[in-house]
Amino acid sequence: MLGKKMFAKNKFRTKLLFTSIAALALGACSPADQQAEISTALAKQVILPTYSRWVEADRALAASALAFCSGKADLEKARADFLAAQKAWAELQPLMIGPLAEGNRAWQVQFWPDKKDLVGRQVEQLVKAQPNIDATTLAKSSVVVQGLSAYEYILYDSKLDLANAETKARYCPLLEAIGQRQQSLAEEILGRWNNKDGMVEQLSKFPNQRYADSHEAIAELLRVQVTSLDSLKKKLGAPLGRQTKNLPQPFQAEGWRSNTSLKAIGASLASAETLWQGVDNHGIRGLLPAEQKDLAAKIDAAYGESKRQLAALDRPLTELLADEAGRKALNDFYDSLNVVHRLHESELAKALNIQLGFNANDGD
Amino acid sequence: MVTNMLRRHVLGLGSLLLGALTLGGWTVSRNGKNPLVLSARDDSNGKHYAVGYRLDGTQVFATEVGQRCHDVVEHPSEPIALFVARRPGTESYLIDLRDGRLLQTVKSQPNRHFYGHGVFHKSGEWLYTTDNDTTDPGRGLLTVYRYENGQLHHSGELSTHGLGPHQVSWMPDGETFVIANGGIRTEAESRKEMNLHAMEPSLVLLKRDGTLISKETLSQPMNSVRHLAIASDGTIVAGQQFMGDAHEPAELLAIKRPGQPFQAFPLEAEQRDAMAHYTASVAVHNDLRLVALTAPRGNRFFIWDLDTGAVRLDAPLPDCAGVGAVKDGFVVTSGQGRCRLYDCRSASISAQPLDLPAGLWDNHLHLKLA
Repeated sequence: MLGKKMFAKNKFRTKLLFTSIAALALGACSPADQQAEISTALAKQVILPTYSRWVEADRALAASALAFCSGKADLEKARADFLAAQKAWAELQPLMIGPLAEGNRAWQVQFWPDKKDLVGRQVEQLVKAQPNIDATTLAKSSVVVQGLSAYEYILYDSKLDLANAETKARYCPLLEAIGQRQQSLAEEILGRWNNKDGMVEQLSKFPNQRYADSHEAIAELLRVQVTSLDSLKKKLGAPLGRQTKNLPQPFQAEGWRSNTSLKAIGASLASAETLWQGVDNHGIRGLLPAEQKDLAAKIDAAYGESKRQLAALDRPLTELLADEAGRKALNDFYDSLNVVHRLHESELAKALNIQLGFNANDGD
Repeated sequence: MVTNMLRRHVLGLGSLLLGALTLGGWTVSRNGKNPLVLSARDDSNGKHYAVGYRLDGTQVFATEVGQRCHDVVEHPSEPIALFVARRPGTESYLIDLRDGRLLQTVKSQPNRHFYGHGVFHKSGEWLYTTDNDTTDPGRGLLTVYRYENGQLHHSGELSTHGLGPHQVSWMPDGETFVIANGGIRTEAESRKEMNLHAMEPSLVLLKRDGTLISKETLSQPMNSVRHLAIASDGTIVAGQQFMGDAHEPAELLAIKRPGQPFQAFPLEAEQRDAMAHYTASVAVHNDLRLVALTAPRGNRFFIWDLDTGAVRLDAPLPDCAGVGAVKDGFVVTSGQGRCRLYDCRSASISAQPLDLPAGLWDNHLHLKLA
């Protein structure tokens, strides 16, 4: 017993000694300080506000479903609230760091890609099997029917006539359940950001249980941004048929029922740019040293070009897919997204000394 | 219940940092030993290396090699190891572990390539690697080499009784192979799956003369059995990679206890869903009876009690790669961030970042407990 106690005491002394050395070492290391500063700024000024807007949009969605189903609001209003929730979700895509990126939670918000129209089929099965479903039961059901994709199906699918009272009554319990489910999911995630030892703290104070140092935090911020830029290409590439011998696949688009695919891509792209720019240049851009200003300018220009290409797409996606000129415009937009993606993935990552997904993307 | 079973324990802010700084002295004083971490690693320019580092961060060697390697197979008595080419590589490298000297470049046979794994027989005279017969893409082979006068000489082949074999290990007798047949056909110079809808993954036990002892499967044909860890009591743990739909639940960790069938390890949905259908490495800690698993696509590292199945750790770790047992717990490398030591001696598992170079570690590490 005595020996054990003495060991513990010695260990404690050793730790105290190293504390002062650690403090000195950290004090001398300004790049780490700068990374911690940027990571903190992004967490508080960019990411947390976006998550808060998502929670607000989902609260409005839950209320909106109740109002629509009780006849206090019309379909147009229900659809507008859905579009707001969809946009808030799209803005989160480049910021999917931490709890929302873990445990398959993103699937619970949106089910895409949906190659076999599982959304349509499973919603139909569910309203038959559980006509009085509530949010608690829904949380235990397939992820396919828990989120915005199922909500969109109910509000937009051409086979459903919600003007028919019987039809509306059949789908309303599910619509309300999804609204509540999304609200509680969003609130739970926001809690995990704001809690003690939550994501805001983990992106601000180092080391912590998630990040050994601020460089790891910056690396993960860039990683999720690059992943999201890549997925924007996939979201556009799927309906364009880039993986299917250039045969357009309009029903493979995200949000094809509500025709929100391009809007969602635009919202995600704008959000990715806020991570790059930050508020008052306290974004990833702010980490580039002066000698890298050409790279910074190149990335600025790439975002600008991609936004211009998107703004030039003045017809709905399905129309654009239907003719040569439309497909060319979409492919040009795709190419501009590719430039943004590649610049982040290669040159920016290298300039910041960040290794992206060595095994995750190409493991064995 | 899930939350009750789940124990996420990590050190407070201060001690996490302190751990990194005190680790060298701590390891030496506690164990009298400082294990050598052997692994394949890249540099940021994409060059490939066979590396050996002491746990305290001291580099013993970093030998540039032509092809990217995967697992490391240590000789049972001599200070040498084979760094095995990752699929579909054709060169493995026999390295002197004292100074990193390249002793031999072992080329795969015509119409064969390596799958990244192998084993040395306990006699030190025989080495076996999992190989692909590219004339019948995916037909699994154990290529046999004789180790003589410091060199490996091709000597023959055995069938793995399955497709696309990946990791091979020994049962505790050192005479019985355990083979993870991934079930996927791929061609020479390719990593592209040819038979996703006709996969045949299996776990095979084989005598050293090639006689099949058993061949077992899990419930999902698209669940590729890939990585193995064998406990000293003969318990086999296998890590899977699921090739089916992204939202479908899969048996990503499986177990074969002595005398029992090969079956899913009882995962909670929360851990299973966090793996993103991809596991990289499994390891068993024999003294503490723990099993550890890296899931680089889910960016998560897990530890369970091997006997009760209770979750001991479910922690974020970006692109976590290789894992191996040391006296007090597990060492984990990462393709993206810093490597860590998880001290598992008490109920609360604590993490300490290691002073090893950060990132670019391949999916397997081997610890030489000198």
